[in-house]
Amino acid sequence: MSVSDGRESYDGEAADAASRLPDELRALGRSLDARGGGGAVGSESMVERVLAQILAEQIPVPVQEAGPTGVRARLRAVRRWMRLRRRALAAAVCGLLTVLVLTPPVRAAVFDWFGFGGVEVRYDPSAVPSAGAVVPGCGRSVTLEEARRQAGFEPVVPDALGVPDAVSVTGEPQGRFLVSLCWREGGHTVRVDEYPARLDVGFVKAVRELPEWLSLDATVSPDGIRDPALWFARPHLLSFWLVDGDGDRYTREERTAGPTLLWTRAAGGVPGGDLTFRLEGVVSKPRAVEIAKSLDRHQ
Amino acid sequence: MKTREGGRIVDEAAVIARVRAGEPEAYAELVRAHTGIALRAAAALGAGADAEDVVQQAFVKAYCALGRFRDGAAFKPWLLSIVANETRNTVRTAARQRTLAGREAAFAEAEPLIPESADPAVATLETERRAALLSALEQLSEEHRLVVTYRYLLEMDEPETAQALGWPRGTVKSRLNRALKKLGRLLPDFRPREGGDECE
Repeated sequence: MSVSDGRESYDGEAADAASRLPDELRALGRSLDARGGGGAVGSESMVERVLAQILAEQIPVPVQEAGPTGVRARLRAVRRWMRLRRRALAAAVCGLLTVLVLTPPVRAAVFDWFGFGGVEVRYDPSAVPSAGAVVPGCGRSVTLEEARRQAGFEPVVPDALGVPDAVSVTGEPQGRFLVSLCWREGGHTVRVDEYPARLDVGFVKAVRELPEWLSLDATVSPDGIRDPALWFARPHLLSFWLVDGDGDRYTREERTAGPTLLWTRAAGGVPGGDLTFRLEGVVSKPRAVEIAKSLDRHQ
Repeated sequence: MKTREGGRIVDEAAVIARVRAGEPEAYAELVRAHTGIALRAAAALGAGADAEDVVQQAFVKAYCALGRFRDGAAFKPWLLSIVANETRNTVRTAARQRTLAGREAAFAEAEPLIPESADPAVATLETERRAALLSALEQLSEEHRLVVTYRYLLEMDEPETAQALGWPRGTVKSRLNRALKKLGRLLPDFRPREGGDECE
């Protein structure tokens, strides 16, 4: 259909037409905005989507790189920064640093844990654990003696659980080792992971509610909790290192962990003196504490 | 550098500083301020139905790269260059380069914008005119189409266009001039043709 009525408006001088063109193009651009409905609502849902993804993928906080310099200098800056913050290093989308979205009390807890645990606890309301997760077993077993040789420290077995049904040693980045002990108990697995506590962060726990501080020592000293332990009563997301088939690449794996007790204890033959333990598969808090305490009878 | 988008004024530098200081929530302000124009950019560059996903990815990538963002620069052109990249990747990966038909469909969705009371003849004319503009844009070279898109459809000024495209300002100016001339020639006399099938 021809629209002769409208022709007049376009029949001006060429210069006139050229001058309208930018306006027409702007209008064309604006007409695109109508798609998808209300602008404010659209941007709010975009805000949610973007922040949710940043949280879910644990994207590190972007850190300013030094100056308007070249790629080389920027790389240097990143490396320097990574060296400084190494122990918080975790594989992340941007390949830099895991940084925590924390509420202040958890922030304090993280620094506490850095001090002795090699476990990072992060508050993340979006970290929804999956239902029905089970404690993974230890896989192919080695003897305790082999584990000692491989890991370079003496694995400590809690008396309360007795001789483990399976023992495994997992290589971690930078020549570190994690020893896992597993027991079969009424159709499920009880698992203790132990490793020298001076090590860098190995586990990251993303929790939706704060863990509970416990003391493994009945005599509470005036300056605070002695032999502290952290009880994670609810399932939470646990991320950890996993070595691939050819044994030289580490990736972060994530699984849902059930109730967990986390504590440290001095151990012989460990450089730095402390081992970190994480006990999983025991739902009862008193029993978990009992197991943790039973380590001391070993000394 | 302050920016005003959607009636909001955001002190970009302050927000970026807060994000870098470990406050990812502050990023919400940048997302809020630029979602509209980013969606427009994705649509204009051919993301079609993927526009929202493209924009979401672009915002996340921009967040990742915020450490490299040059202080004092404008956030919008920087973001839009990421949107453009992301759009290109999406379109390429999916191997469904938006053809004119696709874009027309996109514009058709915008149709209800025209007030009910408008003269149907005028509405038809506008539809045809838009189709003609799109068709002409489609025939431009990539560079010319980009410069016109950034400068006019996305309503950026010349320095912002230069920043987004990574071209010198003189290049932006000259390419823009040539692109407009070419567009003018591709829209001969602005005479709507018979029928609505002039752009296949």
